[in-house]
Amino acid sequence: MIEVLTPGLHTTVQDLGRTGYRHIGVPVSGALDRQALILANRLVANPDNAASLELTAGTLELKFHRDAWFSLTGAHYEINIGSREFWHGWRSKINAGETLCLRGPKSGMRAYLAVDGGIDVPICLGSRSTLMTAELGGHQGRVLKVGDRIPLGDKRSLSKPIGAVQRNYSNEVRALPGPEMALFTQESRRVFWSSQWQVSNDSNRMGARLSGETLKLAQEQSLNSHAVMPGTIQVPPSGQPIVLLADGQTTGGYPKIATVIEADLWKLAQTRPGQKLQFIHVSPNQVEDANHEWQQYFYRLQRAIDANSSCLQLITYSL
Amino acid sequence: MSDELQPKLFLLGEKALVLDCAGLSGSSSKLEIQRQIWHIADICRASGDFDDIVPGNNNLTFFFKDSKKIPFWIKQINTLWSNKRPQDKPGKLIQIPVQYGGEYGPDLNAVAEYHKLTAQEVIAIHTSTQYNVLFLGFQPGFPYLDGLDERLFTPRLATPRLSIPAGSVGIGGEQTGIYPTRSPGGWQLIGRSSLALFDATSEHGALLAPGDRVQFVSVLSISEPSISVQVISDLSSPKQPILKPAKASHKESSR
Repeated sequence: MIEVLTPGLHTTVQDLGRTGYRHIGVPVSGALDRQALILANRLVANPDNAASLELTAGTLELKFHRDAWFSLTGAHYEINIGSREFWHGWRSKINAGETLCLRGPKSGMRAYLAVDGGIDVPICLGSRSTLMTAELGGHQGRVLKVGDRIPLGDKRSLSKPIGAVQRNYSNEVRALPGPEMALFTQESRRVFWSSQWQVSNDSNRMGARLSGETLKLAQEQSLNSHAVMPGTIQVPPSGQPIVLLADGQTTGGYPKIATVIEADLWKLAQTRPGQKLQFIHVSPNQVEDANHEWQQYFYRLQRAIDANSSCLQLITYSL
Repeated sequence: MSDELQPKLFLLGEKALVLDCAGLSGSSSKLEIQRQIWHIADICRASGDFDDIVPGNNNLTFFFKDSKKIPFWIKQINTLWSNKRPQDKPGKLIQIPVQYGGEYGPDLNAVAEYHKLTAQEVIAIHTSTQYNVLFLGFQPGFPYLDGLDERLFTPRLATPRLSIPAGSVGIGGEQTGIYPTRSPGGWQLIGRSSLALFDATSEHGALLAPGDRVQFVSVLSISEPSISVQVISDLSSPKQPILKPAKASHKESSR
């Protein structure tokens, strides 16, 4: 069990999300940076889909009531147990009774704290992920608060620390043209691909709201409501695009100018309000290459973890 | 000048395919097209190739587990569309008790004034229709209902409310519906039901499904324990009364 002494600004339980409930209006939910969650889980020998804590900002103090191995990935936090410092991207040991202190993030936006055995909150609609908008899943359907006691799964027999170098952040987000791209003016299409888009303050787990030049339709058009998904870039009448994320609604009626590819969705999770990003037009073949790169990354990571012998080992693969 | 009878199929992102029937002309009504969409969704769900299949308003989106299956399914879906139209899907008819006006329906009088009707006339029109559940979306369990009488088409509020209680019944533009969970919203609120449209602990999650029909019933108070939702699911027998008295069949009550 973990006791929350200081909860951070928006800390939730997340796994890889819910599958198969969109047709009743339930978003996929789950970690915004899926690859960082998987990495954190692999470092502590959890299944990829084990639930961990998604940290958004602020300081966390978590008191562990059993011995545990933990790993922190994604956004860069300072990690301390008492006066001892620990490395980001590594698995490390904490003893029962000790308090883990996380301060950050120094860079990036969302971090994932995995604990061996995983966070063992009840499964709701096929997932342990918190869906704030419907107040379901996770720990009582909400962000963590002071005094919460978070149950852990069975501990795993791990011995030494290991670590992985994480992929490099870039603000270039690859995207495929959306079904309604052609409805926009030629100038708006050019602007969409060529300009920098600033992530605005009212972004959240439902969507990253972007600000920049106004995108215009060639003529007013009303669309029937249709399914949307994480990565869908929709353009409401304001002309300022919104990239839907894991907790975004399941259907919408705004024109979809483009779709962020799955391999790059994590960049939206790690871009802070005020930072800028740029969309890169890719072909379906390039999407396959991007997915293949991730497969390679995790394949090599797993090989390195499996082959790891007695000494500390730094796994030096990055994208 | 031939009718366009074949819907469009296009990709959404890398792993989703959209069947879009908007603007499909020919002899089919919008509701008939929607029935065909539900039918195709049901058939395809039996396959293991999809993470989910999501109906919209005259469209259907297939979320694939593996994008390599998309070319195969493009052919399949075209064939399914060309096959003969299904019989009526046997959906449920669900009567939902609503307390209209007062604190639960703060915009009822404004809606009446807008249409130069009395509040009672608005209630009478709103309760006289069986609304078709076209699809669920926007929020968990939120039904898109088709069939609002055009005499009640009312613009949304200029300034949306920050928080609307679950169960609120409203009108927004050409639509009517119920908010399943507390949320912000711009619809004109005319009443409230005590109905749980969504229950994450139940097997299906959502009370309503596409193909169901909803009828609102005006009651004096939704807090009376005798008031409950009537689920009338056996539509196969023509002798089945469509409307039952409010206290008749508690055993069929949903929850």
